[in-house]
Amino acid sequence: MKPRVRVEMALANEQPDRAPFQATFVPEFAARLRADLGLPPIPLHDPHNGRWNGYDLELATAQDALQCSVGWVTNYYLDTKPYVDAWGVEWAIKNYATPWGTGFFTEMKRHPLADAGALATYQPPDPNDQALYTNLERLVAEHKAEHYIIGRLHCTIFESGWALRGFQQMLLDLLMEPELTHEILEITYLYHKTVACQMAARGVDMIWLGDDMGSQKNMLISPKTWRTFFKQRMATLIAEVRALRPDIKIAYHSDGSIYPIIPDLIEIGVDVLNPIQPDSMDPARLKQEYGDRLCFFGGIDVQRTLPFGSPDDVRAEVAARYATLGAGGGWICAPTHHVQADTPLENFWALVHAVSENAPATTHA
Amino acid sequence: MTDSDEILDIIFEDVLDGNVRQAAGHAQAGLDAGVSADMILQDACIPAIDEVGLQFEQGEKFVPEMLISAKTMQSVVQVLRPHLLTEQSAGAGTFVIGTVAGDVHDIGKNLVGMMMEGAGFQVIDLGVDVDAERFVEAVLEHKPAILGLSALLSTTMPAIGTTIRTLEQAGLRANLKIVVGGAPVSAAFAEQVGADGYAADAGSAARVAKSLLGIA
Repeated sequence: MKPRVRVEMALANEQPDRAPFQATFVPEFAARLRADLGLPPIPLHDPHNGRWNGYDLELATAQDALQCSVGWVTNYYLDTKPYVDAWGVEWAIKNYATPWGTGFFTEMKRHPLADAGALATYQPPDPNDQALYTNLERLVAEHKAEHYIIGRLHCTIFESGWALRGFQQMLLDLLMEPELTHEILEITYLYHKTVACQMAARGVDMIWLGDDMGSQKNMLISPKTWRTFFKQRMATLIAEVRALRPDIKIAYHSDGSIYPIIPDLIEIGVDVLNPIQPDSMDPARLKQEYGDRLCFFGGIDVQRTLPFGSPDDVRAEVAARYATLGAGGGWICAPTHHVQADTPLENFWALVHAVSENAPATTHA
Repeated sequence: MTDSDEILDIIFEDVLDGNVRQAAGHAQAGLDAGVSADMILQDACIPAIDEVGLQFEQGEKFVPEMLISAKTMQSVVQVLRPHLLTEQSAGAGTFVIGTVAGDVHDIGKNLVGMMMEGAGFQVIDLGVDVDAERFVEAVLEHKPAILGLSALLSTTMPAIGTTIRTLEQAGLRANLKIVVGGAPVSAAFAEQVGADGYAADAGSAARVAKSLLGIA
């Protein structure tokens, strides 16, 4: 079965030969995978595919959907040294130790609108700069015939907003400085609305939006606050994309637990929910309550199972997701975040193989 | 209801609702009316912040509301401080907290610090990306009753275990309670790395800490 057909079937709530698979990797894990597969090393693998990594690693890991990012999110992993991105956010490098050596994250250090006075003269980058879309055009041209193409623009409104303002400050602003907050969010919203439309016009199959609204067990902000600042903006963004491309699929990513706003997301046109962290939201409950209106993308835990579990634990998790999220289709299997540097290779390969081996068609044969 | 009951109610509501712009004024008005600083702290602020923690645990309050309540309480305590009978009038003990090595995530850690301060602890916040040696130095310097270790990531969570082992090797573990938390952290993990307690969120941290110390 063609990879793109596999994804299209799953998203039509039909049962493909196996669940479609998609995964992203932090640079350190990508380097280990490439070595394991005998693929040539690349300088700094970008998990969001904002830079051109090529897609040899994705193809070698049986991925059906290929993604390319444009927008603020591409500022992660820009360099191995401290840098300032095009939005004026300053980034630092933080190292951490794993059993497979030292890893690093790029972490925001200074925010250009930390002083609200800077807002009057602040200029975001230009989302109509055609050079931003070169990689996306190349991905579509080279792979769309076989693979499902995702245009990814995570950090769509809130996360890029807090990158400009500072996380804790923006959380306070939501309640204390609502007008200022609306002004800042308007900048990131308008930018990414243009990006989404540019991506849609270039033929991607899915627009993958995202802003983290969940913490581990509850929403980070109240449903009411979400509705005040984010719902209408997301609704308009989705409506403008749909006006251009009525057939396009819309996915929404939020880490953590966001039960209270799932009906709102469905109402504004979201088709696919990502990443379904199993410690935060119950896959069985989601499928039961929303399986007729939503497809699910993710479900394989990166907090516990992939880094600390055994290959058997990984296989059991895939089987469990097939029985819930994947029952009758409606599921793209994926880790709940970039596969991290603390993950044993054998766990990742157990995942790739279990997606095929545990597929219902095979099981019932 | 007496005037003092009324002013305590107002300040309780200020902290609970995060009325940060007016709370300090209400506290000053209370002092001017003869309500003692200790009473405002013990009978208004601390019960209010306890209630905030409870509502957060129950999913009725969220991070912004909790941040603002904590800020409101800080603004009240600032007015009260010169009038408190002793520095330790609310003293539950010293609490040292930090996010472990390699991890720069601070919002959960900050909230726990604020809630612990609200519950009467003297809080020493070491910040983020704190390596085991700095925790050892801070324990030697501040002699806390309790230490909080935070991590958001699976990749940095093992540094919690490293920190606890380093404290053991330095001979500092015996008289120290250690409570751990952060998104991927669980009660099972806490036990595995030899911590004394696990707090699932900032709302429950002070309760867990007080129960470990055997205080109400």
